Amino acid sequence: MPSLRLTVLNSLFRGVAITLAALLIPACSPRQKLKREFPPLPKDVDIITKPPGRYGGIYINVDPGGGPNTFNYLVAEDATSMGAIGTVLEGLVRRNSLTEEIIPGLAKSWEVSPDNKTYTFHLREGVKWSDGAPFSADDVVFTFACIYDERFPNRHASDYSIDGKPFKVEKMDNLTVRFITPDIYAPFLEMVGGGPILPKHALQKFADNGTLMKAWNIGTHPREIVSTGMFRIASFKPGERLVYEPNPHYWRADNTGQRLPYLDLYITKFVRDQNASLAAFATGQSDSEGITPDNVEWVRRGEKAHNYTVHERGPSTVCNFLWFNQNPEKDKSGKPFVEPYKLKWFQDVRFRQAVSHGINREGIIKGVLFGRGTPLWGPETPANTKWFNPDLQKYPYSPEKARELLKLAGFRWNEAGELFDSAENRVSFTLNTNQENPIRQHMATVFKENMKDLGIEVKLQLLDFGTFVKKIGESYDYECGMLGLTGGGDPVGGMSVYLSSGRMHEWYPNQKKPATAWEARIDELMMKQLKTLNLAERKKYWFEVQRIMSEQLPFIYLITPNSYEGVKNRWENVEIPKSGGITWNLDEYYLK
Amino acid sequence: MTSDLLHQILRRRAGAFCLVVLILFYVAAFFAPLLAPYATSDQDLTKTYHPPTGVVWQEGRLAVRLYKLVDPTCAKYEAEPGQFAPIHFWVKAPTYHFLGFIPVSHRLFGVEAPARLYLLGSDETGRDVFSRLLYGSRVSLTIGLIGILITTVIGLTVGGLAGYFGGVFDSVAMRGTELIMAIPGLYLIIALRAALAKYFDDSDQIFILIVVILSFIGWAGTARVIRGLTLSLRNRPFIYAAEALGQGPVTILWKHLFPNLFSYLIVTSMLSIPGYILGEAALSFLGIGIQEPSTSWGLMLSQVQDLKVFMLNFWWLLTPGLAIFITVILFNVLGDVVRDIVDPKLKTQV
Repeated sequence: MPSLRLTVLNSLFRGVAITLAALLIPACSPRQKLKREFPPLPKDVDIITKPPGRYGGIYINVDPGGGPNTFNYLVAEDATSMGAIGTVLEGLVRRNSLTEEIIPGLAKSWEVSPDNKTYTFHLREGVKWSDGAPFSADDVVFTFACIYDERFPNRHASDYSIDGKPFKVEKMDNLTVRFITPDIYAPFLEMVGGGPILPKHALQKFADNGTLMKAWNIGTHPREIVSTGMFRIASFKPGERLVYEPNPHYWRADNTGQRLPYLDLYITKFVRDQNASLAAFATGQSDSEGITPDNVEWVRRGEKAHNYTVHERGPSTVCNFLWFNQNPEKDKSGKPFVEPYKLKWFQDVRFRQAVSHGINREGIIKGVLFGRGTPLWGPETPANTKWFNPDLQKYPYSPEKARELLKLAGFRWNEAGELFDSAENRVSFTLNTNQENPIRQHMATVFKENMKDLGIEVKLQLLDFGTFVKKIGESYDYECGMLGLTGGGDPVGGMSVYLSSGRMHEWYPNQKKPATAWEARIDELMMKQLKTLNLAERKKYWFEVQRIMSEQLPFIYLITPNSYEGVKNRWENVEIPKSGGITWNLDEYYLK
Repeated sequence: MTSDLLHQILRRRAGAFCLVVLILFYVAAFFAPLLAPYATSDQDLTKTYHPPTGVVWQEGRLAVRLYKLVDPTCAKYEAEPGQFAPIHFWVKAPTYHFLGFIPVSHRLFGVEAPARLYLLGSDETGRDVFSRLLYGSRVSLTIGLIGILITTVIGLTVGGLAGYFGGVFDSVAMRGTELIMAIPGLYLIIALRAALAKYFDDSDQIFILIVVILSFIGWAGTARVIRGLTLSLRNRPFIYAAEALGQGPVTILWKHLFPNLFSYLIVTSMLSIPGYILGEAALSFLGIGIQEPSTSWGLMLSQVQDLKVFMLNFWWLLTPGLAIFITVILFNVLGDVVRDIVDPKLKTQV
């Protein structure tokens, strides 16, 4: 089996090879001056408040994976594609990642009607697309016409509607657009206002002949992908690199009239995996890199040699949790998804609380994450400062408490310390999780050991991600699952998780009517928070949902790793937010 | 013939060395529950990425140094001067059923908790790498033997019958082997693994699944060579004589052909065992082989494919790689020696 032999050797020494390769490739890039065009600034130019910088510099980013799959907003599903689209296409409003405020984007201002259902946006005057064509209200109307067009099925149409009813989008005049929502829609500005606006002049012909879904694919010439963002695409080689150059018609400038961005080029290189992109950063070949807690220490050792700093960002927005399948229904052949006697344990809140008390979160953080993590007690991680409720029911590691709760729930132990329920069934279940994530695998093995201390037998079954998702979302033939979700942002993102009728209400999805009183209460609160624009009230509702989740524990929350970002010291205006990408204000970056 | 072969191997220095070391490996694997100080899943979250503990002679007995975690952010441990924990022999341990039915409540050696004996350091959840290496060797070492057994039986049957009968049977059998050999091995393995995984959920069953998959890929080559050898033996007078005496094909195959193929079989088996060890390692490395909570050398390696292992110098985590390396070399050298013995014409050395 020579091919196998080679694979093993390759894999064995891959780590070494990457390190060697990283050392051998010279870390230099061509330093030719970029020829800039200077068309006049638009009338409603956005003047930044920061002191002016200097033109020049190449910002290099190294990403694992093959790069974007498409530049078409209606087609894009993955984060890399959406990131690239977000770089070239602006929305009506933007979000200041530092203050989490909504700030003007392509619209310079907006008003909300007293009934909270009508939004009027005033667009910036004189803004042009990167090819020089004027930007106007027609582009906004065109964008929403495309999203709602049934010929172009896309994932945004359902987000941009309430109970299946779309928003009305009207052009008032060339620079004014009005949105009318069928009902109050709280996250309108974040969700709709921030969505990219498509160019009518460039895409109308595809919309007319029905080929819009095929437009702006990765084979499209970069010049055809026109931009309102800080950059336009200079070239793209799938699997290799994506090069952006400044958009000559960008609508932001500093107070000396210099048009942003200061950067000459923004390059994203694509490499095979996380290890390779980390090695690239640690050897000074890229300008920024997200660093996992276990790698922080050795990356820090290169800070002096390669002139970068590893910044601590605090807890990340990744929420790791496990849950028991509480689905009482039966499959097509009449077999229940979960053994009825096991379902009885899983539906008992004392059992779930005992399990939560039995998990050594601090140990996982200390041992696996080198002390760089935060225990979680509810659906929001502390990274989401705006929506995080710190006042939740907590379950510190305490096998004694866990035993007490189990005893209360009618469980008992035999002489060997094995746990049995009141009907003499051995307490044992299988934990499913996906195998790709090493930290989650460690959490699973620690969980297994923790449960063994309580007399509970846990079997591990590691599946590839696709199979796992199918199990929890379609066939429901599992007992216990472990997953991590990237949270953060507005609670509206969790509608499909927390509503009992939701598709991702993992412990018992797609309920016809809420199975328990507390699920009914969560449904009510989630609908209430959606239908008011009053932030304090929305917070109150969402905080109560978090509280119920922490008491009832349909999800048993585990930990969140802290997040770290390494950035080269040569950049001015680096502002690292608590969550989200650090390049949100890349247009303001300049060389020190 | 077997005892003669053994005798000849032992007379050669390289052969004797490889054989003895391999037997030691297998004995260690067999008695893993006794030899390993800990179970594969015994964690200690306060001692993750612990370096190998130093063993010293202290007050007339063996003892291990005690360590203190000086920098938790990079798992840096330092030996505490003057602090030792004595190593006890034949210590009491949680009862374990050796071979599934002999209850054993002792381990060969260990230290008193909370001190820990890490002969080869600990991994990311504080499990003992030495113990895991021992238990892992059960998978990694037996997979070759079982695999060879299966492929040899299938190869011998298919190849032998094809060579003996010829004609349509021969064509069908050989086209079958060609079909299997035409598909790139690793892709076929991955495809089979994906297709069959849902029927094997328990980790012990996955072990069997992997042996079956690897054997399924491996038998074709053996079958072809056996067929060739059988074809050449088929026309020898002693076969005709057996046929004239009225012996059936199975008897002829077993009594007359098999002994003549034996030397070839033993050499190829010896030389293809490393293929299975590496195959298992490759599958586990790709995340589709042995899975937690079981352990194997390949799985242990795949769990450390991380830059920090190199950068923070957790070298002990790479010992499974060394174990694979040594085992493969031992089998290859032993295979060479055996080949020299049974077929002196192929002898490479002067």
